[in-house]
Amino acid sequence: MIKHFINFEWKQFFRSSYFQKGIGIKILLFLGVLYFGGIALFLGIALYFILKESLPTQDPIVLVNNFLIYWLLFDLAIRFFMQQLPVMNVKPLMIIPVKRNTVINYLLGKTAISFFNFIPIFIFLPFSIVLLTKGYPVLNVICWFFTILFLGFSNNFLNFLINKSNTVFYVLISVLALLVGLEFFDIFKISKPIGIAFNALYNNPILGIIPLLLMIGLYYINFNFIKKGFYLDDAVSKKIKEVNAADLSWMNRFGSVAIFLKNDVKLIWRNARPKQVMMMSFLFLFYGLIFFTSKTYSNSPAWLAFASIFVTGGFLLTFGQLVPSWDSEYYKLLMSQNIPYKKYLESKWYLMVFGVTLSFILSTPYLYFGWKIYGMIVAGALFNIGLNSFTTLFGGALNRVPIELNVKAKAFSNTNGFNPTQMLIAIPKMVLPMLLFYIPYKFLNYEAGLLVLGLSGVLGIVFKDFFLTKIEKIYQNGKYKTIAAFNEKNN
Amino acid sequence: MIQTTELSKKYSGITVLNIPSLEIPKGQSFGLVGNNGAGKTTYFNLLLDLIKPTTGHIINNEIQVNKSEKWKPFTAAFIDESFLIGYLTAEEYFYFIGELRGMNKVDIDTFLEQFKDIFNDEILGKKKYLRDLSKGNQKKAGIVAALIGSPEVIILDEPFANLDPTTQIRLKKLLRDLTLNSNSTVLISSHDLGHVTEVCERIVVLEKGNIVKDIQTSDETLQELEAYFSV
Repeated sequence: MIKHFINFEWKQFFRSSYFQKGIGIKILLFLGVLYFGGIALFLGIALYFILKESLPTQDPIVLVNNFLIYWLLFDLAIRFFMQQLPVMNVKPLMIIPVKRNTVINYLLGKTAISFFNFIPIFIFLPFSIVLLTKGYPVLNVICWFFTILFLGFSNNFLNFLINKSNTVFYVLISVLALLVGLEFFDIFKISKPIGIAFNALYNNPILGIIPLLLMIGLYYINFNFIKKGFYLDDAVSKKIKEVNAADLSWMNRFGSVAIFLKNDVKLIWRNARPKQVMMMSFLFLFYGLIFFTSKTYSNSPAWLAFASIFVTGGFLLTFGQLVPSWDSEYYKLLMSQNIPYKKYLESKWYLMVFGVTLSFILSTPYLYFGWKIYGMIVAGALFNIGLNSFTTLFGGALNRVPIELNVKAKAFSNTNGFNPTQMLIAIPKMVLPMLLFYIPYKFLNYEAGLLVLGLSGVLGIVFKDFFLTKIEKIYQNGKYKTIAAFNEKNN
Repeated sequence: MIQTTELSKKYSGITVLNIPSLEIPKGQSFGLVGNNGAGKTTYFNLLLDLIKPTTGHIINNEIQVNKSEKWKPFTAAFIDESFLIGYLTAEEYFYFIGELRGMNKVDIDTFLEQFKDIFNDEILGKKKYLRDLSKGNQKKAGIVAALIGSPEVIILDEPFANLDPTTQIRLKKLLRDLTLNSNSTVLISSHDLGHVTEVCERIVVLEKGNIVKDIQTSDETLQELEAYFSV
């Protein structure tokens, strides 16, 4: 039976739509995998030497052990947001004569070959090999490596549980919040004893049995959990969630586009995929920290303009670039209902303005870096609202990838970001603000640069109608193609 | 009301629909029947400007549908589940459509009163998203939404499929009343010959994209259709 399962899996992979994309995208995807794999590999090899160099008095393995807990938490968080749980494909297997245990074992086993379980191998295997070449005890290093693998798999199964059971999720979140709080306020540093524990694990290979048992235990809990709920209306099916209705009538003040804005808020709030994108766009807020704290970049202020676009443009760049796709599941309705195309686009524009404004408010703490930096963020926000919003909408006209709203994106199976046209469209979004700032900065001064960058955004807002009319034409021209493309996934 | 001229649709050289001429007068209840692949849904999609005609055009109330968007205010349709917004509750969906058609919450609430029987307490006030409703209940919601705002042209693709018997009977009555009382033009397609003959004044049979019969419904129509399809 397992043979059949694997065969199905193979077909599912090679017949899925993203694999049938053009050769160019396949190459890009492959390069992407190579790139990230390469980085991980490089990090794994270099880790030992970096640590040795920067902290020569300490043993690198001890340092790694002390930070291992952060890695594990980070891993769990990433999994929670990104890892797709294999649930739906089980339905056709429920009524054919296969032992339940086989199906469940298979289901759980399948999560084991997730991309996320390979990351530690990429990083820690080379690190372990370097340790061995440096004369660390063989048995200890090998057992330590397996310990990390077991813990990674424990995370894998733990993630399954927290996704499926609200109780586990809330318990885990509260415990974590408590521990992080204690750690942060220096009351009790949980990371210390954990670091000691990992070092003990390393020094006594026999203790490696504990993470192994932990992994087996979690597997067993998962197994029972699924077995108990192995019915269509239970664990294997999608959760039917109670509606969370919030009163959005305050949005009515936005006039004729309010009706769409209300819908979009619900869209984001109630579906897995847009929620995921929202989380990502939130991270963009911190992008500035990399640039604003570094000496290299503050000496070449064009890069500050680049960073400021990201700080306020997270939502615009991530959510906005998939604009008509968000509505792909019911695009035919929107196209045949009493909605002028321009109104629809205008509402999306307002949504992006809303996103930028919100990010802008949240970026107030950047005041800490002084008025120069903050002025750049203001100018960047204006540019995002006035010009990048239209570039993004324009790019959307060329984007015909349907999106399943309530399904999380899988790592490396989501080619939306690898769409070559999208990449081309992204270039002016980054390069144009740099030029607009840099040219007046070079010839006049910093403030002139800010002024030009900001004013260009204001100009965009003034000519909003003109831009929207132009973009509407492009959307109208591609209308049939878009409907047909969105329809493919729906049927 | 609806004039079709020299309309054809080809997919990679294969003709799936070819209607030289078809005129549907205002207020008529019009039925399309035909086997799978006959072109029923294709015709509706063309009428809603969701696909591009290869030749010819459709004029809906003096507006050529692929040239202007002005047919949208007086036309409503339910073709399939992609006309529903899955993450809304039924109420929110009705309010949304209502708002698009210039009706407020109170208007919609009164409008929905008359469908209480059809909803059978399974759609309103259930705190469930449309995507979580059963196929039949989704269909009910979609059909009712298509009636919001008394549109002059109502297009329903397979309205009877997936519905329970009681609702089928209620829907038939509803559709008959609609053309009698409100002068709406109703276009439906169906695989159930009995239902269409009961509801529609006129029935057009499509076969492989061509009109092969155009009948004013009478007592003999059902027999005639059954004879035609029992090959």
